[in-house]
Amino acid sequence: MSKDEVESTFFRRTSRWKLIVLLLVAALIIIVIVSLNFGSELKTPISFSDILTILGKRIPFLGDHIDSSSITLQMEAIILTYRLPRVIAGVLIGAALAAAGVLYQGVFKNPMAESYVLGVSAGAAVGASFAILSGISFAFLGLGLLQVAAFVGALSAMFLVYSISRVGSRVPVETLLLNGIAVNFCGFAIVGLLEILAGNELGNIVGWLIGGYSNILWKSIWSVLPIIVVGIVASYFFARDLNVLSMGEETAHHLGVNVERSKQILLVLASLITAAAVSISGLIGFVGLMIPHLTRLLIGPDHRILLPTSTVVGAIYLVICDDIARVITTPFLSTGEFPVGIITMLFGGPFFIFLLKRKKGSYKP
Amino acid sequence: MNTKYLIAAVVVIVLIASAAFVYIYYQGQPSGEELEALQNLVDDHGYKTSLTAYPEKIISVAPSCTEILFAIGADDKVVAVTNYDDYPYDFAAWIAAGNMTSVGDFTSPNMEVIISLNPDLILASGGVQEDNVRSLRDFGYKVLVLDPTSVDGILKDIELVGNATGKQAEAMTLVNDLTSRINAIAEKVANATKPKVYYETYYETTSSWTIGALAWQNELIEKAGGINIFGDQQTDYYQYQAEALIDRNPDVIVLPASGMGTGEQASIDAVKARPGWDTMSAVQNNRIYQINPNIIERAGPRVVDAIEQMAVFFHPELF
Repeated sequence: MSKDEVESTFFRRTSRWKLIVLLLVAALIIIVIVSLNFGSELKTPISFSDILTILGKRIPFLGDHIDSSSITLQMEAIILTYRLPRVIAGVLIGAALAAAGVLYQGVFKNPMAESYVLGVSAGAAVGASFAILSGISFAFLGLGLLQVAAFVGALSAMFLVYSISRVGSRVPVETLLLNGIAVNFCGFAIVGLLEILAGNELGNIVGWLIGGYSNILWKSIWSVLPIIVVGIVASYFFARDLNVLSMGEETAHHLGVNVERSKQILLVLASLITAAAVSISGLIGFVGLMIPHLTRLLIGPDHRILLPTSTVVGAIYLVICDDIARVITTPFLSTGEFPVGIITMLFGGPFFIFLLKRKKGSYKP
Repeated sequence: MNTKYLIAAVVVIVLIASAAFVYIYYQGQPSGEELEALQNLVDDHGYKTSLTAYPEKIISVAPSCTEILFAIGADDKVVAVTNYDDYPYDFAAWIAAGNMTSVGDFTSPNMEVIISLNPDLILASGGVQEDNVRSLRDFGYKVLVLDPTSVDGILKDIELVGNATGKQAEAMTLVNDLTSRINAIAEKVANATKPKVYYETYYETTSSWTIGALAWQNELIEKAGGINIFGDQQTDYYQYQAEALIDRNPDVIVLPASGMGTGEQASIDAVKARPGWDTMSAVQNNRIYQINPNIIERAGPRVVDAIEQMAVFFHPELF
């Protein structure tokens, strides 16, 4: 059998795919616009039509014909400078974590695989903790030391795990998985040590480990957007390889897939995307692990549809969680808000268990 | 005969000397009402302290207390201050020259130094110092806590310190002087339009700290003829989201130290460059002012300087 024959036998492209993706993207756009409603209590409330006007004015040509007499400078600044980047960050980070989750789970053929595998999260956490403790602040392409350190930490951990897992010319998945978990434990041990030494900075480290992006502005988004978009688009071209890989590396090899090369590229892409996302948000749990499973339960295991739908579902999920975080404010936290990482786990866990129960606990990779 | 005169002369000299000694000894020591006040010193936390004589050795463990002591002329009784004290004199230089003892840090003063000086009276502030105050009282020291919540409270504290140190007259003069300066400002700004004022205590990109209605800086802003833009919040320190400030659109921005703990002061250019802040009337009209954090965050006599300076910020046309 050729690669195409295998695909047409085991994975059937259906006409519903385009419709599903289209509907999800439409839902995402609506959710993004509705999310712009949530924020602090304002003296001059910004109505939904005001938000549409502010956004509409930004559309070239069409914008000139929109009556914006009710819009103040302050309203524009609130929506465009603070709320929009925050919602867009949710889209970007949610999409990145979910897409990377699909790639990790596909390569490892393991339901537990996510950014913790390969030590990516641990590397980012070590980098971020050192940056927080150093107390040094600088800016590089709109990123602070914290973001740069998290990004560098994540990628170094991945390369470390990959190179120690090499056996001859092959990098067996099992070895990768185990080495990744070992490096992960070492990394979080270092973070634990740093937490004990942290003193006044403890809260900042814990906050970063839980994850959140309430301080996000456009410049941080621009600095990671290219990596995330290019990474997700590029990995889509390997969706068929992932399908074949899921039948076993041996089979994939016989079907003409360069297994080692595909694995390598996919892991680098997944780690790049993850590193970019966590560098601006901290470690947001649940999204990367559960969203691919959730989507698989609803849509099936074909990576050609699983990857795009997971990406959009991840974006929708994180934006909604962040809306919840902004609505439930509390004076007891230093940020005044629940970190979104708490929401993603607290609400996501039970929801996922519920879905899994309804599917009678079955798991199909 | 000669012996008689000699004895008489000796007796007279001894009597005069004793009288002089007694006079010198009791001069400046309390009697009557003053003694009663000294035996019933009630501090800002309602704690009653009783002294029988004016203290000879006073330790101040807060810069605000030091400023009050020196303002009413109790200079020569102060034996130790903290490392943060810098007014009215350069105490760091005094400490370096050996003319003043340091009790160290404001938040955790060195107990051994305090005990070794065996002070008659200790002046402390509230908040972070409460634990220290408790242990100092456990050691048997007399401690007055000056933790006012209003300008009136600061004036009452000045009188309290006056009663405790025998400087009642000086304290009264100071209080009258401060009161008349406050009244003069109040008269001047009485009919002026009050600008909306944003007072920054700590800046972070999207959620920073300011003061609500219960901080006494709120009262300073009001007395200077302004309205605290977050004065509707019934709290002392208040954390807001950046969009709430942009929405409230302040006319004037007052910047004391903008980094709680760091003491760093934001530059006016940095404030103008903050995202979205260019939409605020205060930024557009260049009404951003730095103020010495020590005059506005220490509950001492210099808060009146802060009121006077802010009145000029708020109403430049009147001055």
